[in-house]
Amino acid sequence: MQKVATGPTLQGRIGQFQFTLRRQEAVTGFLFILPFVAFFVIFRVWPAIQAILMSFRQWEVLMPEHPYIGLNNFRELMNDDLWWLSLRNTSLFAVLTVIGNTLISLAAALVVIQPIRFQTLYRVVFYAPVLLSVSSVCVIWSWILNKEFGVLNYFLSKFGIAPVPWTADPNIVIPSLSLVTIWWGFGFPMLVFMAGLQAIPEHLYEAAKIDGANAWQRFRFVTLPLLRPTILFVTVTQFIAHLQVFGQSFIITGGGPGRSSYTVIMHLYYTAWRFYRMGYGAAMAVALGIVMIVLTLIQFRFFGRREEE
Amino acid sequence: MRRSFVPLAFAAVSVLLLMVAMMMFMSTPVLAQENPTATPIVAEAGTGAIQLRYWNGLTGSDGVTMNEMVAKFAEENPEVSIRVESMAWATYFDKLLTSLVAGDPPELFLLHHQEIPQFARLGVLGATDDMFDYAGGPLPAADFAEPIFSATVYNGVRYGVVIDNHGWGLWVNNDLFEAAGLDPSVRPANAEEYIRYATLLTLDANGKHPNEEGFDPENVVQWGACISWLKPTFLSTLWQFGGDIVSEDGKTATINSEAGHKALQFLYDLIYVHHVAPPPAGFDSWQTFAANKLAMIPEGTWFRNFVTLDNPDLNWTAHGLPQWGDVRPATWVSSHVLYWPASLSGEKLEWARKLAIYLSEQGLYWATSGQVPGRLSQRAELDPEVFPSNIAIGRAFEEYGVPELASPYSTELVAAFEPEIDAALNNLKTIDQALNDANDRIQAILDRGG
Amino acid sequence: MAAAYSDVGYRRIQLLKKTLVQIVLLFIAFVVFFPIMWMISQSLTPNSEVWDWPPQFIPQHPTLENYQTLFTRQDLAIGHWFVNSLFVSTITTILTLFITSLAAYSFARLRFPGRDIIFFIMLSALVIPAQVTLIPIFLLMRDFKWLDTYHALIWPAMANVFAVFMLRQFFLGIPRELEEAAILDGATRFGIYWRIILPMSSSALTALAIFVFLGSWNDLFWPLIVLNRLEMRTLPVGLTVLSSAYYTREQSLVQAGAVIASVPVLIFYAFFQRQILKGITFTGMAGM
Repeated sequence: MQKVATGPTLQGRIGQFQFTLRRQEAVTGFLFILPFVAFFVIFRVWPAIQAILMSFRQWEVLMPEHPYIGLNNFRELMNDDLWWLSLRNTSLFAVLTVIGNTLISLAAALVVIQPIRFQTLYRVVFYAPVLLSVSSVCVIWSWILNKEFGVLNYFLSKFGIAPVPWTADPNIVIPSLSLVTIWWGFGFPMLVFMAGLQAIPEHLYEAAKIDGANAWQRFRFVTLPLLRPTILFVTVTQFIAHLQVFGQSFIITGGGPGRSSYTVIMHLYYTAWRFYRMGYGAAMAVALGIVMIVLTLIQFRFFGRREEE
Repeated sequence: MRRSFVPLAFAAVSVLLLMVAMMMFMSTPVLAQENPTATPIVAEAGTGAIQLRYWNGLTGSDGVTMNEMVAKFAEENPEVSIRVESMAWATYFDKLLTSLVAGDPPELFLLHHQEIPQFARLGVLGATDDMFDYAGGPLPAADFAEPIFSATVYNGVRYGVVIDNHGWGLWVNNDLFEAAGLDPSVRPANAEEYIRYATLLTLDANGKHPNEEGFDPENVVQWGACISWLKPTFLSTLWQFGGDIVSEDGKTATINSEAGHKALQFLYDLIYVHHVAPPPAGFDSWQTFAANKLAMIPEGTWFRNFVTLDNPDLNWTAHGLPQWGDVRPATWVSSHVLYWPASLSGEKLEWARKLAIYLSEQGLYWATSGQVPGRLSQRAELDPEVFPSNIAIGRAFEEYGVPELASPYSTELVAAFEPEIDAALNNLKTIDQALNDANDRIQAILDRGG
Repeated sequence: MAAAYSDVGYRRIQLLKKTLVQIVLLFIAFVVFFPIMWMISQSLTPNSEVWDWPPQFIPQHPTLENYQTLFTRQDLAIGHWFVNSLFVSTITTILTLFITSLAAYSFARLRFPGRDIIFFIMLSALVIPAQVTLIPIFLLMRDFKWLDTYHALIWPAMANVFAVFMLRQFFLGIPRELEEAAILDGATRFGIYWRIILPMSSSALTALAIFVFLGSWNDLFWPLIVLNRLEMRTLPVGLTVLSSAYYTREQSLVQAGAVIASVPVLIFYAFFQRQILKGITFTGMAGM
């Protein structure tokens, strides 16, 4: 039918050839993304839908029935003071860690980007902690931060400073865990900042120099504005990552003293895996997801504004 | 770019391969040596055709002792082989749950009595009434020590076979006692005496006791007492003052009763009024005891390993827990109980039962782990020269031991109150507030259970 | 003012400044590296001395005993765990790189209906926290009968949106001319991807490889939950088993285990740090 309609004109043939080519390209395109999309649907989309459905049920592992209970899990969550407490602890931890990480990694990047002696050594050393697993990091730091037998207090005692209860004081414990995390992680944003710095054209700095800008002014008026997207990228990804903190408080403090370092994911872990209440755990996870999305949007508004103008 | 990439990749891959090769080579047991205190994580016993998996949470030297017992069983029964897998308790619960969900649980697993309802409710535990003589089985029920034996029944059905009793006692440092002019073989009789002892045993950097003028509580070099693990210390104290965390019918939270206040106040005063114990957060009671800087520590029967094997130079005495409360003596008791899944049947079930009987009969051997044998006939045979702590603390269990509450929500209940007590003892919350919060959380769990 | 300095004096001051900066930097590097040195030092200390006070920074009786124990004792499966980790991480890295780069190429170069919508949906999935999907994926693994197999560790890792995004950005920066020439020579799309695009992206692929490898190598929670048999375990899971929750009897053994877990990646990174930086620079990740 088609053949009759198109007719055997030269233009028709070219059109058909192009059409075939384009269709071939589309088919190839689909085939190329197919394996990935398959995994994506199976391991991301489907489980996300499942989690949302689960959060409306009283879903306990090994129980034969999983009764539908509507919004009860979310209602319970709103009244769960441990959820709010852990959310507060986690947010404090995430804010401290993100700020510390961003400042330190930016400073480190500004240094190791210079053509200085031992440059490679610094790059390797500053990134090295990133390569450790969370369990190794916690084993090392539990010991360093120990009040009675810890190395950190040993050094401080040399300067006549009384032992600091790094993980025992409710006001210090989160900054302590934050310190551990910054040490562990600042190497990665450092690499990202280095890449961002390298992308800034050299002539801008020269132009600024000619205009008589000093080092600080060059940083303030050339580096910082051009680095804005990088900073946005770093803070957004770090924030999402650190809101999911688990290992550090689970291993080093067990959430203590009291519940001073009890985090959202710890709460989720206990609820779902220790108390077997997976429906409530799913509700918690969904709520955390919403919190993260909201915070990400806020950050985009805050840091991304300049770009839109 | 590519020129430098290829040789680097080659170099790195060869380094990795070299390391793997070295490890393969090194993991051959040519240099294998016996290490008496090390913890085997996977131990294979026997080579028989019937294979059993046995999981436990014994990652200390008690794990070694357990493996020796299992190995002996496999030796005597060549048709069976047993694979013992030990993991830290925290990990163990996750693993057990996932193996049950996956429908592939181990043939035998060791838990405590207090977890029976949690698992029995889900229908995953095999019943064991027919193991005992009252139902025609081979094990003499009357030989199993109370109060634990009765605590292994849930809804009229018995689960598991009791291997040991373990629980809370008081361990004292003889050298520090003698230096303070005290007799370590005499246990403080009541709260006043306990505080008096602890005061004499606490020293600041200037050698002053807490009851002396100019004592500096910020600069203590030797502690008389400590809180140690919160759960057993607090529960024992609470029971001694006549209280409990839930009412007898299991429907009402009662932790903020008068007894609860008295119990928590007593522990609080040890730290902040009498200055004889440190705030618990960040205090390493085991290492401080080992360093001869802590005179009295409430600890479990398992502490025997630490004071004999790891620190053979320590001079210590073990007592049953003193009575701090004004109502009755009480001490926290738990137990290791061997279970098999409800789904187990046939040959494997037969052998699981045989191994359970065997282990239950090896209580004297198991006593080297520090735990008290679960059977009375074995307790009577303990050598006082070798097992003084097992005997002293075991006797206290019989006289005034209280088993930890077994409820479908045991784990959740402990998680509900422990951090609150911790908060109060670290001065983060008032006693009232901590107990009320704990009470609300416990009540919420009970209400949910209906 | 500047004229007041002689050339030699100026150079001297510069040198002094540089030396001072170097001293400060070396000190900072020492502080940053100290915990890792402490880990290594403890792994070389006999277990009976690790609690010594004041702490021994350099072991007084250095010993390889801990390593020997880790490797020689058959009941400690660290050799096994190491091989498991290496196997799982390597396979995961290779497969992820292949599958995501194929998809990224398609998103960057090929035109097909719905392409941009699919890409957008994919990107928005970046904000879904992993914790939301943990439980359902676990149940999925059970239904697939993948619990306690390496499938459970490898396949879910393929859904790596970040990797697709990063590679797509990189591929967009490769000039089209090369591909057009190849098309005229009759090359297939896959041929172009395989022979032109991939070789040109070695630095981006290296950077991505280390992120994927590290993620898989250090992952703790997921393997802890899906693996049952002890000989199946990966290194991080094995290490947590070594240290019990309330008291660690064999601290120096744990530290030796941690050294074994981190040294391979440290070496790998030291070799490839230049490539990794290049990879990140060109992906435009920094300019997201």
